[in-house]
Amino acid sequence: MIDAIPVLLRFAIGLLFPPFLLGIIAKTKAFFAGRKGPRLLQVCYDILKLTRKGSVYSPTTTWIFRVAPLVFVAAMFVSTLLMPFGALKAPIQFYGDVLLFVGLFALTRFLMVLAALDTGSSFEGMGASREAAFSCLSEIALFLNLTVLVILSKNFSLSTLLGGYTRSSWINAGPSLILVVISFFMILLVENARIPIDDPDTHLELTMIHEVMILDHSGPDLAFILYGACLKLFVLGSFLASLLLPFRFHDDWINAAVFLGAMIGLAVVIGIVESSMARLRLNRVQSFITVAIVLASFALIIVLSRTL
Amino acid sequence: MKFFLVSLSILILSGFMVLSLGHFKKLCHGIFLVSLTAASSLVLISSFFALRTSFQGDFLLPWSVPLGQFRMGLDPLSAFFLITIACVVLAAGFYGCGYLRGHGEKKNIGVHYFFYLFLTLSLFLVVAARNAVLFLAAWELMTVFAYFLITYSDEKKSVRQAGYLYLTANHCGVFCLLAMFMMMGNFAGSMDFNQMAAAHYTPTFLAVFFILGLMGFGVKAGFFPIHIWLPHAHPAAPSHISAVLSGVVLKMGIYGILRMISMIDVPQWGGPLVLFIGAVSGVLGVLYALGQHEIKKLLAYHSIENIGIIALGIGMGLIGKAYHNNLISIIGYAGALLHVFNHAVFKGLLFLSAGSVIRSTGTGELDQMGGLLKSLPWTGHLFLVGSLSIAGFPLLNGFISEWMIYRSFLEGMIHFGKTGIILSVLSMISLTLIGGLAAVCFAKAFGVVFLGKARSHHEAPVKENSWVMRGPMVILAAICLWVGLSPKTLLLFSLKGVSVMTATDAGQMEMILQPILFVVKTLFLFLSILCLLALFKRLLFRCVPPRYQETWGCGYTLPSPRMQYTASSFADPVLRFFKSLVFFKEYGKSCTDYFPKEVSLLSKVVDGPEHFIFRPLLSILRKFSGKLLKLQSGYIPQYLLYILLAVVALLLWKFPWSS
Repeated sequence: MIDAIPVLLRFAIGLLFPPFLLGIIAKTKAFFAGRKGPRLLQVCYDILKLTRKGSVYSPTTTWIFRVAPLVFVAAMFVSTLLMPFGALKAPIQFYGDVLLFVGLFALTRFLMVLAALDTGSSFEGMGASREAAFSCLSEIALFLNLTVLVILSKNFSLSTLLGGYTRSSWINAGPSLILVVISFFMILLVENARIPIDDPDTHLELTMIHEVMILDHSGPDLAFILYGACLKLFVLGSFLASLLLPFRFHDDWINAAVFLGAMIGLAVVIGIVESSMARLRLNRVQSFITVAIVLASFALIIVLSRTL
Repeated sequence: MKFFLVSLSILILSGFMVLSLGHFKKLCHGIFLVSLTAASSLVLISSFFALRTSFQGDFLLPWSVPLGQFRMGLDPLSAFFLITIACVVLAAGFYGCGYLRGHGEKKNIGVHYFFYLFLTLSLFLVVAARNAVLFLAAWELMTVFAYFLITYSDEKKSVRQAGYLYLTANHCGVFCLLAMFMMMGNFAGSMDFNQMAAAHYTPTFLAVFFILGLMGFGVKAGFFPIHIWLPHAHPAAPSHISAVLSGVVLKMGIYGILRMISMIDVPQWGGPLVLFIGAVSGVLGVLYALGQHEIKKLLAYHSIENIGIIALGIGMGLIGKAYHNNLISIIGYAGALLHVFNHAVFKGLLFLSAGSVIRSTGTGELDQMGGLLKSLPWTGHLFLVGSLSIAGFPLLNGFISEWMIYRSFLEGMIHFGKTGIILSVLSMISLTLIGGLAAVCFAKAFGVVFLGKARSHHEAPVKENSWVMRGPMVILAAICLWVGLSPKTLLLFSLKGVSVMTATDAGQMEMILQPILFVVKTLFLFLSILCLLALFKRLLFRCVPPRYQETWGCGYTLPSPRMQYTASSFADPVLRFFKSLVFFKEYGKSCTDYFPKEVSLLSKVVDGPEHFIFRPLLSILRKFSGKLLKLQSGYIPQYLLYILLAVVALLLWKFPWSS
């Protein structure tokens, strides 16, 4: 029971912190718009309120519609267990957990798409179709970024790709890691349906993707989806934060504080991006993802030419 | 080996019995099922035994064919394929009994069963043959018996055409194999596989053998662009035959390639070439599948995709050998082998459930279905299991084998030199793309067929099929789950199978097994979290029970099921993005006026190689052969004249003045 404190600390961070991220983003956006903005805890209140409401189901839907949100949350939760939080070690780590991480993401996406098709609404079908198309492209960018990290760290467990081990990689291949960070940030925006890809605040626009898919979810289901979305942002954000924090302290409390600071910084950056940009036209989204792929490929080429 | 021989004789005996008893339908069904079960379980027992003990059975019979010896053997590679064959053939056979009942009233069911049993026999023989002549004979028998099974509904013109295409394409492949084996036999001085493996070949000949083998076996396996028979034959055949075709007959091509690799030293560029073929087959196969509107055609293109994935694994195995890295070689081959088994199981499952859908609704067109999960709950859920497996999602078997193949790429990035890294990266990108697109495609297939509302009204209510048809599907789905959640046994088997191509030792096996067992443990954690969440949700619902209301029509007051997203519209964004790779055609007009009148739009993906390579080639060939037709006038004196001319020519050639 030596490592009890960091593990408990991790659980506390992983379970409670994610909803704050959305609050921070909202606050940042409000600051730039000159508004006061919702409370930091607003997302938590929303989630709690939704769990107390009953769901409304369409008779067209089947169990897939009801199970998909649960799978979403469960998969995101397992992903947080695989992901190191900066210098805080991941509780589960083994050779090749990267592939499981990606597999779980794919599974949730598939089920969410099915859940959207399950409603039989043309509107949700549209969202599902777009989500499927974009995620299959963003997966390539994700894999390219992982490839760069695998080649640099000569291992493929998330905990050795990231976390406190990236220092030598930053020294060896700083430029390509910067490209990876940019490319991964773009993927993060795509995967979490943020501006400039998708607007999480509006519901009825023809350019929308993710929000359209969850239009018919309500009550506890919507609460699960909202919490799952927070977790997803948190997991992908901690990927970025762990990549950007190439050092570790001996005290886990400091490690945790540094990590939280980095995550808050990330949320602020997302907020700034969202308040300074407009949503892209839908047919530009593919170009956006392609740019992420191209940046990652450049990073790969640089790494290959440097290390060999 | 004894069990294996007994099972072969059971198949022969019962084959002739069903043929002669074709008019006693009940008896025929009975004999067929009993003999199939007996033969398959005997084969399973003998191959389990061979895998456990690595026993290399050998069986020799006197045979009066020149150069041929009736030599058979069971090494782990054969045993692994035998297990695959036995599983699929058994499930599809039982399903077929239910599928044909009431369907083939006018047809002699005994003939069909005869061909089925003999196809099984020839498949077993292909895998067990240890002599090139025996192998080719079994190979030909397999092709011919499969042809008769495909053309079951031969009253339809399209079925006959598909059968001809199948036969022609596969015979073109056999020419390559004949040439390869004849040259190899010439070098080795014998047609026995073990002597061929021991012989020394010059590098040029090795290259020629490799290319010939890839072409010959590739036609059967369905590599791009020589896949053209596949998307025609699969929809034409009855569904259980499609399952056998896609699950097993295609795999014989893969078996042939692996056997060839175990016999000859593959040239250095062999690995990259196979990787390239795999990537192209995989990506284009799945893209073409995305554009299909007919369920069995869609599945047929997915077979090409999965053969591509298997080829990626084999390519990594070959590159590992070229780089003298045994571990990567083993992982690549083992991933490919495991995917062979997995694909056989889940594709069998998918074809069987697709057949069940077609039986119930009377159509295979995706855009005429919808909402079938409620009326066909068994078929629907089994199809879902198959879709999740084929798209490679965790918890099911496809994930395990794709994980292995991914791992071989990642290992390659760590251990190889520059070229090797670039190859691994490119292959990994293609596998990622394949996986992503397969997920889109199965979201489309499952979503459009089983979810939402029915798009067209059927006269009769859609009913679930009999248990004879459902049972085999349930078993196949259970195998999918079993391999997905407890992959150890089959992984060990596939690693044993690999030992024919590269030596494996216990330490390496442990290194390969360990991580994947961790994956499975984490998946169990995932499942338990899921259960907890479900309990939590049930608790919440106890406080406030859910209500039921129609799906919101987005403000439209008269929503109709026809307004749902269709298969074509779902796949449209992806296909548009990959427009440069697929030949995507649209017919019809889009609306331009403010008050549009009737508009129709049809989108279609055309098979590139078929339409732009093989059809023009064939038309040229036909023009040329049309001119030759004049020689064949049907006028007997003219033929006599030909004979006279030939004799004169021979006499002139052999005339003493030449010496």
